[in-house]
Amino acid sequence: MTGREVVELVRQNIGVPWRDQSYRDTFKFGDADAPIKGIATTMMVTFGMLKRANEAGLNMVVAHEPTFWSDRDETKDLLNDPLYKAKTAYMRENGMVIWRIHDHMHAMQPDYTVVGSLRSVGVKGGENAGMHPGVLPIPETTLGEFASQAKRFSGARALRCVGDPKAKVSKVLLGPGYATPRMTPDTDVVVGGEQQEVDGLFDNVQYVADAASLGIPKGLVMLGHVVSEQAGMEDLAKWMQTFIKGIPIKFVPADEPYWT
Amino acid sequence: MKIPDISRRRFVQVAGAAATTQFPLSGADKPTAGAVVQRVQLALGGQWMADGVDGFKAGDPNTPVKSIVTTAMATMDVLKQAVQNGANLIFTHEPTFFGRQDGPAPPSPAGGLGGRPGDFPGISADDPVYLAKKEFIATNGLVVFRLHDNWLSRRRSDMTAGLAEMLGWAKNRVRPDDGLYQISSATAEETVALIRKKLKLRGGLRAVGDRTATVRRVLLLPGFTTPAVMRKRYREADMTITGEVREWENTFYAADVFTAGERRGLVTVGRVVSEDPGMRICAEWLKTVVTEAPVRWIPAGDLYWRAV
Repeated sequence: MTGREVVELVRQNIGVPWRDQSYRDTFKFGDADAPIKGIATTMMVTFGMLKRANEAGLNMVVAHEPTFWSDRDETKDLLNDPLYKAKTAYMRENGMVIWRIHDHMHAMQPDYTVVGSLRSVGVKGGENAGMHPGVLPIPETTLGEFASQAKRFSGARALRCVGDPKAKVSKVLLGPGYATPRMTPDTDVVVGGEQQEVDGLFDNVQYVADAASLGIPKGLVMLGHVVSEQAGMEDLAKWMQTFIKGIPIKFVPADEPYWT
Repeated sequence: MKIPDISRRRFVQVAGAAATTQFPLSGADKPTAGAVVQRVQLALGGQWMADGVDGFKAGDPNTPVKSIVTTAMATMDVLKQAVQNGANLIFTHEPTFFGRQDGPAPPSPAGGLGGRPGDFPGISADDPVYLAKKEFIATNGLVVFRLHDNWLSRRRSDMTAGLAEMLGWAKNRVRPDDGLYQISSATAEETVALIRKKLKLRGGLRAVGDRTATVRRVLLLPGFTTPAVMRKRYREADMTITGEVREWENTFYAADVFTAGERRGLVTVGRVVSEDPGMRICAEWLKTVVTEAPVRWIPAGDLYWRAV
């Protein structure tokens, strides 16, 4: 089986219109017509993840996020970059093929990134959620307790929170990756991956900090981009196993990059 | 309320006696907020950029100034401290009302970051946090002016110098007006511990790369760091310290550099926290521009905490 044939099987099974115009969901590296030994699904094509996939005998990577440190995986300014050279040399020497599945995952029903993200912070009721799960109820707790639960379930080391830890919360709005939602009147806690801290379209950090200062119970839990979408890539591997037979398909996580 | 566009011709006018006719003094020794801003514009020099984000965000420019505060971001906590200190004019580097628009705005016609039209409208006019903050500002007679674009265009180097000073590295600047500093040799972990202590951090700092690397040279980039700057400069230092980056860009570039075997690291402390020390320098500078009212720096501080 080739990488191109893998993508064709994904297309036939995905259940949503195929988006040929997507600049994201394309081959990013390697020979799409070379034989595939095995497939690694992952959140972000980090150099560390590539090595682990290769060592496990998996030479095709199906990733939700970029390989070359930008949304468009633009490489024209990178050709003399020593890291770009080292990373592409490693992929070339090991016959690796990279394909990104981003826009199609967010169009799928359920959206595994969201399903996985909700599961990884311990919020129930999102097992079949799409890209926009809406505000989900949780048993009333404090922001501090909810954040501890999110940290425990997700294993995130560098999870960051804003708001009064003692605030009572029972309504959660989650968005994966960079799609961190803005705080709304009917939300107590926003959970996201990453977001510009200030000077954006809506600054959650300042809003939630000011709400706390005014005694209005609101909270923000930022998981980090990888942690917020990682779990869903395991679901994607399981889904691909239902229609791709004969080669191993494994979830190879990208490491949370932070120490604190 | 926006400061009028001051063209070059207009600039010549305000430089003269006309400055006091537009914003009259309320008493012998108390300039109005508008007069203070005009003095800031003149003292900064060059042409005032009026089409960016700078300008009055709340309050009446004709208010006589009792005392002045500078801050990286006018949070409710900063405003409360300003009032406790008797201040009524606040120079803030970042927004006051929850976004670049600094107040209610129509929904983005192109749709929000979440992919749905209207996902990210600015603050709504009837939002309780917005209303309460506005009321606090009105009740206490505060005037808030955003000083961002014009400050950075003239004094970006001071934002870097301010951060270096706060970290105790001011004397070791490698080149004038640049972010490279030579520091006493320490491990990355020790250096991060020092940063935490000196900037009084709570939960916002995140580090990527080699925690055991020896750090002798640091690159200070307060604010946001773009991929172009990162790729150009990351290898000049053992540790790059910045406010924030996009994770899927520079964070994973730094993580991959580490995997590739280079012993260096990236530390993000939070955008606001990285800009606080520069606004302390701004307060020192303002004291030379306005002598009739005290000027004080109030840091916005680290708004994040860590779950346990």
